[in-house]
Amino acid sequence: MMNQQLLTALAAVQLDPISWTIVAVGIGIVFMSLLLVYLFFRYILTFILNFKLRSFARRKGIDPSEADTARTMMSGEVNAAIAMAIYSYFNELHDVESGVITIKRVSKNYSPWSSKLYNMKNL
Amino acid sequence: MLALLVIVSLAWLAFVKPEQDRSRSLADSKTEVIVATPQDQPGDSGDQGFMDGLKRFWDFTGFRNATPGHLIMIIIGLVFIFLAIRYEYEPLLLVPIGTGILIGNIPMFTDGGMNLQVGIYQQGSVLNYLYFGVLKGVYPPLIFLGIGAMTDFSSLISNPRLLLLGAAAQVGIFITFIGALLLGFNMPEAGAIGIIGGADGPTAIFISSRLANGINLLADGTTVKNLIGPIAIAAYSYMALVPVIQPPIMRLLTSKKERLIRMKPPRAVTKTEKILFPIFGLLLTCFISPGALPLLGMLFFGNILKESGVTKRLAETARTSLIDIVTIMIGLTVGASTQADLFLTRESILIFGLGAGAFAIATTMGILFAKCMNLFLPEGSKINPLIGNSGVSAVPDSARVSEAEGLKADKTNHLLMHAMGPNVAGVIGSAIAAGILLSYLG
Repeated sequence: MMNQQLLTALAAVQLDPISWTIVAVGIGIVFMSLLLVYLFFRYILTFILNFKLRSFARRKGIDPSEADTARTMMSGEVNAAIAMAIYSYFNELHDVESGVITIKRVSKNYSPWSSKLYNMKNL
Repeated sequence: MLALLVIVSLAWLAFVKPEQDRSRSLADSKTEVIVATPQDQPGDSGDQGFMDGLKRFWDFTGFRNATPGHLIMIIIGLVFIFLAIRYEYEPLLLVPIGTGILIGNIPMFTDGGMNLQVGIYQQGSVLNYLYFGVLKGVYPPLIFLGIGAMTDFSSLISNPRLLLLGAAAQVGIFITFIGALLLGFNMPEAGAIGIIGGADGPTAIFISSRLANGINLLADGTTVKNLIGPIAIAAYSYMALVPVIQPPIMRLLTSKKERLIRMKPPRAVTKTEKILFPIFGLLLTCFISPGALPLLGMLFFGNILKESGVTKRLAETARTSLIDIVTIMIGLTVGASTQADLFLTRESILIFGLGAGAFAIATTMGILFAKCMNLFLPEGSKINPLIGNSGVSAVPDSARVSEAEGLKADKTNHLLMHAMGPNVAGVIGSAIAAGILLSYLG
């Protein structure tokens, strides 16, 4: 067991230095790339969008801090709840029914479609 | 009995009759010079021709040419199909790959280098033409296009710090790379094996087709081994086994208290942010790692098609018909490329061992990094470390594992949306790592 570990350790020492370079540079670049994307979206894009939001609020005469609050408070769950409530209000107005069943008589005694007289006349 | 009769009839039609016709025509042309001997009586030559024909037919059958290796591979193919149908482990991949293994391991007559133009490695066969897409790395970018067109980056945009979990899990790629070097693989082969740790099938195929394709020459004049089949099969097998591999590691590395952490619901993301993400993501990542361009370029292009809102037809095609067609091609040809003589080798066993290690390391690194991030995050913004495993880019299986493990700890704590963030970050991260390996070793 010890020999095996020793062999492994020796092999590790004998590895081409370029392999360690690839590992170090590789891990570093993967982290750096995704960190850059994170920083961009966390700070730069947020700054740009907030700037746009504030200028829009200023144009409309809304307090910019209020607009900021609205933006940061906005969550997908809240939006989903609001959307559901609006949908229910407009489309599901019959949640509570009276419970009284009425039958409306729709049959008619006379219809020109079944009138023998009418058909005979046309002949 | 009926089948035997049919086979004998076919053998007669295919081999014996043409042989008789040929010998008859030869006899006609030589009637003037050849004097029939008693042993060349028509009845005898017919029997002899029949036996020769049957023997020739037998020589060409799979039964005659089968080796134990072929049978082992056929059993492996059947196991893949069984797992896909019975347990629904990645059926969209395992059914084509399993069937491909069956197709690729039908034994055939190849004595003297005979090319029947049937097998995947035989020039001019249909399968060989389809395999071109694997060898030249055509299919993986097309799959990435489809993935981009079906991926919603909202959870990542709303909480971009989750990108770092996707980066942490890629450490598995580089540790596996070192492990492969220690086991005696050369550098390009080790790079191709290491990418299994990214848990991304198309990326693994893309890199192995460039680095370990059996064509490239090393500095010492030797040719690299063709490891596309073993690497692809290992990557897809472990991706299918994510629900088995990851949960024990997740439970081992997290405490009960950590598993109960509730994360803030992701905020709603504006359309502008969704459009800007693929554009800036493409520019930022590909400027740093241009080697990842074929994969990341197509991934973000697909996402732009989706999010722009004006190319719905293209996005729909990319995420349905196109990706389905390419998945069929890639699954079948990768499966068929695992011919027993190429696949059942010591290298394949080592690759499978390294692949298992790569998955375990990637999962471990993701979870440990999430715990590490929690040390610096304020109360209320902490990350549930159970989403750390999703840093490996097995989309969406590893995110589903996070959700399942989260629900085991707390039935009301849904982690799926949060886990999708590191999951798609893992796709980007593994493509960047692939680009780096290509730029050094390609």
